[in-house]
Amino acid sequence: MGTFHLSILVFLPLAAGLVGAFLPAQITRWLVTAATVVVLGIVVWMIADFDTGSGGLHYVTDDAWIAELGIRYSLGVDGLSLFLLFLTAVAWVFAAVWSAVRETERVRLYFFHLALAETAVLGAFTAQDLALFVIFFDLMLVPFYFLVGGWGEEETRVAATTKFVIYTLVGSLLMLAGAVALGVLSVGDGQEVSFSLATLTERTLEPGTQYWIFLLFAAAFLVKAPAFPLHGWVPDTYRASSIPVLILIGAVLSKVGVYGFLRVVVPILPDAAQHFQTLIIVFAVVSILYGSILAFTQTEARLVVAYSSIAQMGFIVLGIFALDPKGAQGAVMQMVTHGLVIIPLFFVVAALTARAGGSGSLERMGGIAFGAPLLATLFMVITFATLAMPGSPNFVGELLILFGIFESKLVFGLVASAGVALAAVYMIRVFQRSMHNRAPEGITQREAGRLEIGVIAPVTAVIVALGVYPQVLLERTEEATVSKVRAASQLADESGQAEAAPAAVPQQQVPQQQVPQQQVPVDPQQVPVDPQQAPQQVPQQEVPAP
Amino acid sequence: MTVTGYGWVVLAFPLAGMLVCALGYRKLPGHSAGWIGSLAILGSFVASILMLLELEHLPTEEREVVDSAFTYLQTAGMDVDLSILVDPLSVFMCLVVSGISFLIHVYSIGYMDGDEGFVRYFAYLNYFVFSMLLLVLAANFVILIVGWAFVGAASYLLISFWYRRTTATRAGIKAFVINVIGDVGLVIGTFLLFDATGELSYEGVFAAADNVFTTNDGQLVAACLMLLVGAFAKSGQLPLHTWLPDAMEGPTPVSSLIHAATMVTAGVYLIARMYPLFELAPLAADISAVIGTATLLFAATVALVVTDLKRVIAYSTISQIGYMILGVSVAAYGAGLFHLMTHAFFKALLFMGAGSVIGAMAGNQSLDRMGGFRKSMPFTFVTFTIGALALAGFPLMSGFFSKDEVLSYTLHRGGGFVVMAVVGYLAAAITAFYAFRMVFRVFFRAPVPEARELEAGHPHHGEPHNPATGEPEDKHVGFDGTEHHNAETSWPMKLGMAPLALGAVIAGYVAIPGVTDTLEHFLEPTFADSRFIDDKPTDAAEYTDLGIGGIMAFIGIGLAFVVFLRRRQLRLVIRERWTAIHTFLFHKWYFDEIYDAAVVRPMAAFGRFGKNVIETRFVQGTIVGGAVGLVRAGSNVARSVQSGYLRGYAALLVVGVSALGVYFLIRATGG
Amino acid sequence: MDVSWFLVLSAFIFCIGAAGVMSRRNPLVVLLCLELMLNGGNLALVAFARMHGDGGGQIFALIVMVIAACEVAVGLGIIVAIFRRRLPVDVDELSDLRG
Repeated sequence: MGTFHLSILVFLPLAAGLVGAFLPAQITRWLVTAATVVVLGIVVWMIADFDTGSGGLHYVTDDAWIAELGIRYSLGVDGLSLFLLFLTAVAWVFAAVWSAVRETERVRLYFFHLALAETAVLGAFTAQDLALFVIFFDLMLVPFYFLVGGWGEEETRVAATTKFVIYTLVGSLLMLAGAVALGVLSVGDGQEVSFSLATLTERTLEPGTQYWIFLLFAAAFLVKAPAFPLHGWVPDTYRASSIPVLILIGAVLSKVGVYGFLRVVVPILPDAAQHFQTLIIVFAVVSILYGSILAFTQTEARLVVAYSSIAQMGFIVLGIFALDPKGAQGAVMQMVTHGLVIIPLFFVVAALTARAGGSGSLERMGGIAFGAPLLATLFMVITFATLAMPGSPNFVGELLILFGIFESKLVFGLVASAGVALAAVYMIRVFQRSMHNRAPEGITQREAGRLEIGVIAPVTAVIVALGVYPQVLLERTEEATVSKVRAASQLADESGQAEAAPAAVPQQQVPQQQVPQQQVPVDPQQVPVDPQQAPQQVPQQEVPAP
Repeated sequence: MTVTGYGWVVLAFPLAGMLVCALGYRKLPGHSAGWIGSLAILGSFVASILMLLELEHLPTEEREVVDSAFTYLQTAGMDVDLSILVDPLSVFMCLVVSGISFLIHVYSIGYMDGDEGFVRYFAYLNYFVFSMLLLVLAANFVILIVGWAFVGAASYLLISFWYRRTTATRAGIKAFVINVIGDVGLVIGTFLLFDATGELSYEGVFAAADNVFTTNDGQLVAACLMLLVGAFAKSGQLPLHTWLPDAMEGPTPVSSLIHAATMVTAGVYLIARMYPLFELAPLAADISAVIGTATLLFAATVALVVTDLKRVIAYSTISQIGYMILGVSVAAYGAGLFHLMTHAFFKALLFMGAGSVIGAMAGNQSLDRMGGFRKSMPFTFVTFTIGALALAGFPLMSGFFSKDEVLSYTLHRGGGFVVMAVVGYLAAAITAFYAFRMVFRVFFRAPVPEARELEAGHPHHGEPHNPATGEPEDKHVGFDGTEHHNAETSWPMKLGMAPLALGAVIAGYVAIPGVTDTLEHFLEPTFADSRFIDDKPTDAAEYTDLGIGGIMAFIGIGLAFVVFLRRRQLRLVIRERWTAIHTFLFHKWYFDEIYDAAVVRPMAAFGRFGKNVIETRFVQGTIVGGAVGLVRAGSNVARSVQSGYLRGYAALLVVGVSALGVYFLIRATGG
Repeated sequence: MDVSWFLVLSAFIFCIGAAGVMSRRNPLVVLLCLELMLNGGNLALVAFARMHGDGGGQIFALIVMVIAACEVAVGLGIIVAIFRRRLPVDVDELSDLRG
């Protein structure tokens, strides 16, 4: 396995953006695009080079930075972030290509912001120090403020940007407070303040302290996700942004929030995660249902996708807070596949809008498949993937999430399953309203152009390929992801057993005894190598006890 | 090649056919797409036969072979491979599916000739066959669910094939959504089984089931009921049947293949495949039997009054599947699957015949406008009547043996099942009645203008229009073209229908009680562990029951003869006297209306409520507005200090400095 | 000479100046009173310089005078500009810098 300095990966786009700021516009656009392609190449190499079954960090950079505050410049990639980096790289490549080919105003400034944004996101995904993570998280906001506010739709962009920024900033502020508190309060006797994630995970914090720190972080991440009811910024931002920016917001930015849960919150604050599990699950389920129902009453195509994203992110949050290895794996899978699906989906929306005379309203669309069968076919595949039809990788993610949540909170899982059926309704509705039925006045019938196929087809192919062989992702993410929820999962199991034990002991006896058992070490800490066994061990211990 | 090797080949052919048709979308000339598609399915069929022969070489105990291609998903305790299971049941289903599909492909070459979406049609049709074969060959629950969903997707694509027709697209989305509900049921059922057994493959689950579950264990019953949700959604049983009649919007060969012979039988296959679980949870099996019985009666009654030819056949399908469900739910697996096979023959045949008649009517599907096609369409007449006779259970036709065998087994189980069997016989009489309602109304009595034109030698041509609503259409892709074909003039259609007619007659002979036992014997290795394997009615009992069935058929046909041919006024008299019942049946027992009121409208209303109230007032108003308002209020307070009033600033300065000075003075001197 | 007399005088002058700044409406008079305050401060500086024998106080006083001169120049310039524009030469009316 090769070694390689992650800073190169993270700062390459920014370097290209800075250099490009001084070059003629024609060169800048392709320079930055080339940088994004190089980033993608590096990430693909990392995936190929990755040892399946390894849970630790790779390509680690760990230098002292601000020693007085305990902040280190620490980057690393593990199974959890590997495919999120892939998603980031892919999203940026296609956003850059689309922007490069089409006319953009103030090219150099635009590409500089694009590059800065990519650097910030890559940094957020690779940061292994909490302060560094917070820095990159907040840094992400700056270029997006400009991208939405400066290159969005004329009338609505200012209001949209204001809302977007204020929401995110308030959340980030709370998160900053939480991060500082976490770093300072977790110091034990004789220890120094440290923000390194590995160190913080080892240190324990009193449950009471964990609770309010958890809430601070949760505020920031749930705004980013977005989850109901902190999604107020979504409709306006989705309406006002230009398509490539929207792709980046919808596909990647939202994932940084939920990634934060898995990377920072759940492993470091397991007591809080278990304590607030039900609350967050309620938010997640409400997001799923609310987002889905609203999705199928929208008349703007973009807003259908916006509310659908709220629902899908609800699933991901549900998977994480199932506090179960299956749920966590499902959440990671869904993060990647949802992001991958959003990319071509918005390009399709752009294609539809172009054919409907510039209007994004479904009421003005119809019958586009008549003149654009190839576009229709691609859109159909993407539609099926978005609604997580079995056979798509999104289904694998949702299956794992549902299995994870069924295991711990069956009723919530059943309610969430309704979201699956609703997803079918709103996606097929969008597909039919735009592609099928008769074409109304004002539709230009035109087959998909080279640019459109160029940005839609490759990602669709990746999605199909992942659908055929999802294991390629799952085997690499397993160790890292499962280890993140292990502590919280055990706490959740224990508290679940404590609730169930008085009433259900006789019932539990029968199945537990019948399942073929191997005598295994009592201490659950000793089975990190074989995470499958861990959840089954804990119930075993509890039953004989009373 | 090994058995499973053939299995992979069976899957590979339609997949290849689909890819060739899809990629060669613009370049495939003339009818080549049709032939490519048909030959792909023929390849599948031949491979299925070879698979069968290879399987028969294996000793009986070893006739359940599993083969994995690669690991699909293996994480956190779940282990799923892309694997197929070849055993008598799956081979049987492969044969039925690929065989009937092949004939329907050939028929379609004639039927869809002239349609601008010809190539797309065959790509979709091949995709469907691939999905269905994947479903029946799957060796674990996850691949089953994948195949299940693919079949649903193919069904959606084919129902809304003429996608510029609003009626078709609406029917498509309805079918798809109900299918997804079924998928969700399957997922939940799979989870309940996985939770208890830790396994996801059939082998694993069935082996563990006996150890883990007691009889009628709550979790097992729940799992089985969830599986039934999936089965009933797919097979169009109550209460998830409303999509099937609407699915008639698709081209007739699609209705024939998917909504009669193959896809809708997936539910029957599922229950048969899961028999170890259902036998361990008899409560679920009994519920299934009750629903099957209720469905078969319900659908038969509706088929009595609907006037769209294809919808009569659709309701007939729902009803006949009810028989199959009843069969596999009372552990008469052989009988249920036998009926599946014969039904595939005669129902596909009936649809094909209907397609021929509809072609002659230039797209019109209403029974009220048909009549007297006997002379102008002899081939269609003969084949359709054969199909109707088989459906009615006329003695010695295939349907006679299969349907009545199901009822015989049901009677044999005794107890409450006798009631179900009685209902079944009653519905059989109704079935015979409506089957011949169709025959007599379409082919007998005075020829309608279209028939007379056909007799004269030129088929009727009409302006392109939507047969349901009469809306005008055009000839381009997305609509049904103006070229309508009927079997008399189209040899591919004849080629597709003839073998089915033959099958509808002789297919019954594989399971004459006491004489031939081929099917039971063949399927035995799969069902070897069934508790009911030796619990069969005696030959004498079977013959009696067959006899009763035959009598029911005669009663039904006789009544139909009287009502439709001899005393035509009787119809109107009955309708006038029992208007309420007629309306109730005509509105399909108001299921659609109930669903609309109970599910669709509240959802849409909530969506509107969400958009107009929650989004605007609560989220934007309160949360956003509240936060913004707070900040504004705060800054307004702060602003008031900046009055622009110089003397005020000066005063503030002076006062402030003095206060500070006094404070420090006090502190310095003593405080 | 007791330093306290100078300080009392300086405070007196300062307070008169301050009162004038707060109560007069003509900007010219406000500037005059500002000068008074500054000079009151200057007096205190010089007095303390004398008390400690440190020349620094006197130097500081000189610097204050320089700054006062600059500030008066700017202030008078603004007043002349206001007068030329025919705006009311009244401190209460000139409130365009309100928040």
